[in-house]
Amino acid sequence: MTEPTVVGFICDWSVDLKPLSEGGHLRELPHVRIIRVPCSGFVRPSWLEETLTRGAAGVFVTGCPYGDCLNREGNFLMRDRIEQLHRRLQRRKVDPARVAMLAFGLHDGPGFLAQVKAFVERIASLPAPAPARGGRPTVAQPAGASEGDAS
Amino acid sequence: MSSATTDQATGRYARSMTALLRGTLRLDVWINRVYPTDFNPLYYTGGLSNLFLLTLVLSGIFLFFYYEASLGSAFASIQYLTERVPYGGVIRGVHRYAADGFIVGILLHLFRNWFTDRYLFARDNPWISGMFLLLFAGFVGVTGYQLVWDERAQLLTTLVVAMLYSIPAAGQGLVHLLLGGVGVSDTTLVRLLYLHIGPASALYAFLWWHYLRLRHPKIWPPGVWTLFCVGLVFLLAGLIPVTRDAIPPSSPAARPTHFPMDVFFMLPFWFMNILPAGGVVALLVLLFVGGLAIPYLSRRETPAQMEVRHAGVAQVVDGNCTGCELCYYDCPYNAIVMVPSPGRGLTKAAANRTLLAVVIESRCVECGICIGACPFEALELPKLMERDVLNQVSLAMQT
Ligand code: HEM
Ligand code: SF4
Ligand code: SF4
Repeated sequence: MTEPTVVGFICDWSVDLKPLSEGGHLRELPHVRIIRVPCSGFVRPSWLEETLTRGAAGVFVTGCPYGDCLNREGNFLMRDRIEQLHRRLQRRKVDPARVAMLAFGLHDGPGFLAQVKAFVERIASLPAPAPARGGRPTVAQPAGASEGDAS
Repeated sequence: MSSATTDQATGRYARSMTALLRGTLRLDVWINRVYPTDFNPLYYTGGLSNLFLLTLVLSGIFLFFYYEASLGSAFASIQYLTERVPYGGVIRGVHRYAADGFIVGILLHLFRNWFTDRYLFARDNPWISGMFLLLFAGFVGVTGYQLVWDERAQLLTTLVVAMLYSIPAAGQGLVHLLLGGVGVSDTTLVRLLYLHIGPASALYAFLWWHYLRLRHPKIWPPGVWTLFCVGLVFLLAGLIPVTRDAIPPSSPAARPTHFPMDVFFMLPFWFMNILPAGGVVALLVLLFVGGLAIPYLSRRETPAQMEVRHAGVAQVVDGNCTGCELCYYDCPYNAIVMVPSPGRGLTKAAANRTLLAVVIESRCVECGICIGACPFEALELPKLMERDVLNQVSLAMQT
């Protein structure tokens, strides 16, 4: 399989994955791997960066439709954090198009799949990413500090 | 009841709640096709209720200046306001229709929050305060109709008195308190005026309680919905004057037996057609107590039973916390407080901190939003740690 891996962090309460996925990936797009999280707002932006560093071609977070987060604000906050991350990635010469925020409800399966496909296609058209550099060191990244200042 | 039947009942309740959740979200799919999600009115039912409440307060202040609380002049003062004061009739209509909008808004809000599980676990504070908001809103509506002192008000008062009488032991005293004597007199209207405005003001105290555990509550709907709702209320007030029903003023000789219903406020009184007064009182008490019990009653309300993730209450990693307050700003349930740091942190970034984040366990809904907020790896959900997530990332990358 030549298609580059894409990782999706998907909120437990958003799109119903039962009919769409098997064994940790999307049935229709086997190179799209899935990690379930309790809320889209749980995802730490540094994990998204880390996922790219470990060689993923793209990474996205899926929450509920804006306004309908079970935890009230998770998807809004995540949208903001991803915007910040985009700016940071730009400074590091990583194409921000590799990181995306999606918002789909329980019954929005088809819409979700369509948007993931569009995302994957967009990534495929980008110039190849820098080769995987393995895991990051275990100490906290100073990059986090600049995120704190930014908000 | 044997435990087997309890289980079955729990199962049925759980199944119906799941069906209601799916149904509610199915409805959203349709609404979101018409409106972009930022404008889905069902996402802003709390804000809509709040908007109608403000409309009620403002129009109510206007009405208050013209109202005279006595048997002889109450109806006349309202008639004067409606017919002689410029736009008086419209403002009165606004007050009437905004009240209906308020109740519709609250009920939509209640059912939506119920069906989408937004009252569960540590989220009970807005639910309990919400039940009090509902109770007081209904009460204010009834006293509002009584203030007009037409035949409908007269009959309503009779029914309220009958309901109060049916309460064992306290009944007689309550009637005396309400009427301000043994029978209806000028004092009664003064009391009704107070019982309209007092509890209406109390709604704001309850709202403070309602928002206590909600960070940045969305208290207003999107601007276009504000315009639409206020516009609609004014339009209705202009097109369908409230005097259309033409109810004659109350008089001691009149023996009214029926009145035009306002389904939103007078439903309990309709039940008096089929139930004795005591039965209606019991029903209302039962609904209220049942409503209060909803977050606690059913055995479904544990994460395991609902088959949802139980990630555990967020934990601060003391050594890493720099006191940057980011988690404090982002926690949607105000579950994180910043306290003066009792000592230095372990990492370089945390060495000179002055504050330390503390999670108040009883308020934490285990959403993990603070985890995403913390850039210093100082917060963890015990059953889904950063380590676990990064392991999953590695796993995903291997295949
Ligand atoms: C005067 C009437 C009411 C007003 C103005 C009102 C307003 C609001 C507002 C503005 C919010 C915040 C929404 C958000 O930002 O996510 C809220 C939340 C909430 N309300 Fe009400 N409310 C009222 C009555 C009620 C009633 C009657 C109930 C149910 C018994 C209720 C239950 C809740 C619950 C459970 C939440 C939390 C939602 C969440 O965590 O996402 N409210 N309310
Ligand atoms: S998990 Fe964190 S953000 Fe969510 S309620 Fe608990 S303390 Fe607040
Ligand atoms: S975000 Fe992290 S470092 Fe900042 S106060 Fe909260 S726990 Fe401490």
